[in-house]
Amino acid sequence: MAQNVNPHSATEHNSSIKTNDDRLRLSKDNHAVTKRLQKELMSLMTCAEKGVSAFPEGENFFKWVGTISGPVGTVYEGLTYKLSLEFPNSYPYSAPVVRFTTSCFHPNVDTAGNICLDILREKWSALYDVRTILLSIQSLLGEPNISSPLNPQASQMWANQVQYKKHLHETYHKENSKEK
Amino acid sequence: MEDVENQQNLDELWKHVCILFPILCHENQDQNRQDCPSDELSIMQSIVGQGQEAIVEQLVLNEIETQLRRDIVPTFWRHFSDDEIKIHGLEGFKGAVDSLYDSLSTIVPFLQTLELLRQTAQSERQVYGQLSLMETFKVMVRASLHSQLPLDYQAITEDFYRVAFKVFCNSENKEIDQNESAEDIVQCAGCCHEIEFCQCQTIIEAFHDINGKLQELDLLERLAGDVLTTMIHRRIENHVQETCKGSFDVSHIGSLEVWLDTVVMGWLSRIYSSGSFGFRESENKETHSTVETLSKMKQTLRHFLYETYTRTRIDQLFNIIIEYPDSEPAVEDLRICLLKTDLRQHLTQKLQRALETRLLHPGVNTPDILTAYVAAIRALRTLDPSGVLLDTVTQPVRQYLRWRDDTVRCVVTSLTEEGPSELAEELSRGEALQLDDLTPSEEDTKNWETWNPDPVDADPSKTSQSRRTSDIISMLVNVYGSKDLFVNEYRTLLADRLLSSLNYNTDKEIRYLELLKLRFGESQLHYCEVMLKDIYDSKRINTHLHSDTNFNLDNQEFAITAMILSAQFWPHFNKETLELPEFVQEHLNTYTKAFETLKGNRTLSWKPQLGSVNLDIELKDRKINLTVSPIHATIIWHFQSKNQWTIEELSQIMHAPATLVRRKITYWQSQGLLHEIGPDSFELVEESGPRVKGHIPSEIVCDDEETESAMASAQEQREEELQVFWSYIVGMLTNLDSMPLERILQMLKMFALQGPTTIEVGLQELRHFLDRKVAEEKLLFYGGVYRLPKS
Repeated sequence: MAQNVNPHSATEHNSSIKTNDDRLRLSKDNHAVTKRLQKELMSLMTCAEKGVSAFPEGENFFKWVGTISGPVGTVYEGLTYKLSLEFPNSYPYSAPVVRFTTSCFHPNVDTAGNICLDILREKWSALYDVRTILLSIQSLLGEPNISSPLNPQASQMWANQVQYKKHLHETYHKENSKEK
Repeated sequence: MEDVENQQNLDELWKHVCILFPILCHENQDQNRQDCPSDELSIMQSIVGQGQEAIVEQLVLNEIETQLRRDIVPTFWRHFSDDEIKIHGLEGFKGAVDSLYDSLSTIVPFLQTLELLRQTAQSERQVYGQLSLMETFKVMVRASLHSQLPLDYQAITEDFYRVAFKVFCNSENKEIDQNESAEDIVQCAGCCHEIEFCQCQTIIEAFHDINGKLQELDLLERLAGDVLTTMIHRRIENHVQETCKGSFDVSHIGSLEVWLDTVVMGWLSRIYSSGSFGFRESENKETHSTVETLSKMKQTLRHFLYETYTRTRIDQLFNIIIEYPDSEPAVEDLRICLLKTDLRQHLTQKLQRALETRLLHPGVNTPDILTAYVAAIRALRTLDPSGVLLDTVTQPVRQYLRWRDDTVRCVVTSLTEEGPSELAEELSRGEALQLDDLTPSEEDTKNWETWNPDPVDADPSKTSQSRRTSDIISMLVNVYGSKDLFVNEYRTLLADRLLSSLNYNTDKEIRYLELLKLRFGESQLHYCEVMLKDIYDSKRINTHLHSDTNFNLDNQEFAITAMILSAQFWPHFNKETLELPEFVQEHLNTYTKAFETLKGNRTLSWKPQLGSVNLDIELKDRKINLTVSPIHATIIWHFQSKNQWTIEELSQIMHAPATLVRRKITYWQSQGLLHEIGPDSFELVEESGPRVKGHIPSEIVCDDEETESAMASAQEQREEELQVFWSYIVGMLTNLDSMPLERILQMLKMFALQGPTTIEVGLQELRHFLDRKVAEEKLLFYGGVYRLPKS
């Protein structure tokens, strides 16, 4: 887990001297985070991955909107989901907060859009980036983790794919039209 | 009985009055008058004594008026309506005036008597608002004349004055160039009669006579004023036009004013000051008023002259501008005239229209437009130092130049062109570039006393400072508003030049670069500097590689020299491909190896389509030595192994597009080495028979190699840059659904434009780009926002 510790803050802890220097470093870090996110954005834009996409929401680099389309060959095929990604100042040493903004009927997504995914929590690594996060979530749609459900109803229904698909599409369109 | 006595008295008085004013009784007046010729004073006294002077005066005046209306005036006008007299205008008019004068003269004695009567009675009655009876009489004459004015009287007066003026001008001229008068002139220039029967003198006399009479009667202004003014105006117009015809290199204001003062004013003063005789009351007063009239007329005419001159010059302004600076005197004239007349607006409109019709259409070459624009900048600067005129007038030119694709290229070319070019000269003056976005600097505090406000038609949104810059290069760069475009274009141009010359000689280019640096700044031209250094380094490396025997370059069958370019700093090359013959490629590989050995971690990536090849071609009957491009060489190389090729085969083996191959083959056809034997199929001509030699070169037009650029054009590059934005825009719209143009631009600026490459994009450009995408159906535009189409 050593890679998940910001080397700057780590040394800071050791010296344990809190001065104005700290705030300075923070803003500098901020700049570093912005740079990293900018780079991620550029690579995301230039490689143009099919099915996943993300872009800053507007005011700054720390809040993004992501879009994933349901993986082909699964019940989610043809559906598009929007997510919000919020990056902490300590990014990439801590994981961003990722939530579905489109309501998503899925065993590992609760009604508020929170996602239960290990790489967003305990298995986060600074090597992950927006692209890999989105790809992981996309594949999670097709391969849910039934054993630790956030949505028990979905978890139970998963076994019956036909019924699941019917229910999924019904709720998707209902929710979506509600949004509009 | 008193009544009878009164009656008798009245009868007596009436008799006396009739004697005094024979005009009142129409029959046998002569007889009465002869009866008692010398008793005027006593008669007057008796009239006054009976208190009848007012009635008598009224009676006499009435009678005079009746006569005027009934007889004199109709007679006068009859002269004008008579067709016969119209033909001889001069005599007719003279006759008319003479008879009018004569008949009016017969009335004058009565007026004098009446005046005397007035003096006796000491009355100060006013008739028709005039104190003196003479004035009253003149009013009456004018009134009756005007009341019966025929419609066409002007034709005659005009005729008369035209002839008179001609004679007058002629006599003026004669004084000047008497010596020059050639013998073969048979006609007098003045009166159009043969010289022996020259009527000039008579005409002049008649003219003076008439003018004198009219002036006396106060009729000159009324009767001939109109005609005179129009005539003089026309004369001025003609004279100005004649003077200005086609010559811009002389200032005319002075000579025109002199002309006005001597010729026109001389004539006018002759007309006005040639009256004398009995109608004049006080000599001094009259002369004074004449002088006043004349000076007033002079002012009006002078203004008219200026206006005419200005208009003429404005009509010629486009040509004047084109010929600037040779036409500087004309511009200077115009500047002075503009201050005196109110024709600024007229000038702006006229010139703009002239520019639009003569300059801004597809038939004019861009360099010509630029030349005209530069001339306009210079000329209009002289005309209006504040620059407002220039700004307004050349607005359409700038707008138009922006649409021309090759503007930047033309500017850059002429900037660095050899030989006399205005822009190159301008460049060597070496001033720093001033751009429009210059923030309003502090006013020059030293010269605050000479400060002038901007003219009223100035655009208040721009600082006067920015308009006052006289730097032409700045103005040209400002057409686009960005240095980058120019610098990029220069880079492309420089690259082309360096790669086409291939002689590693960079001295001249370095000089231009230094000059440009002064204008555009070091940082902008850093890339170009590296490019020049590349060339210099290449030369060194080549020498080094060839001199060192370890690299085995000497053992090769032909020598290779390379230009080693740092790809980062050079403009993008055209994406042409070319597969060189294996034999050549091997040599190149050897060279690469040698370079790698020398430079450690670096290697070469060849651009086989660039460069030049020196070829010796041996055919059965001749040997040819040529320097050609690699693609030409490759084509002819392949004919070594096989005598016949089709375009398709060649295109395959060379990895080059068939159209390109086809185009390049024409070169060899024109050289007489290849011969088209069937459609798209070519054969090598080993022996040049007389038949082939005879007709081929005339038949095939050799394509002009020099016009092709190895560089991707600025526009293509720009397109590529915008393509990067496109992926960002797609990302944006995928995630944020729909956005208006401004928001997209803002987002791009925030997230896409912060990278190491600072690419600028404007709202207009972005709009064009997005509109194109909409046209390609890659984007939807609805309700002011852009969105992606549902896939």
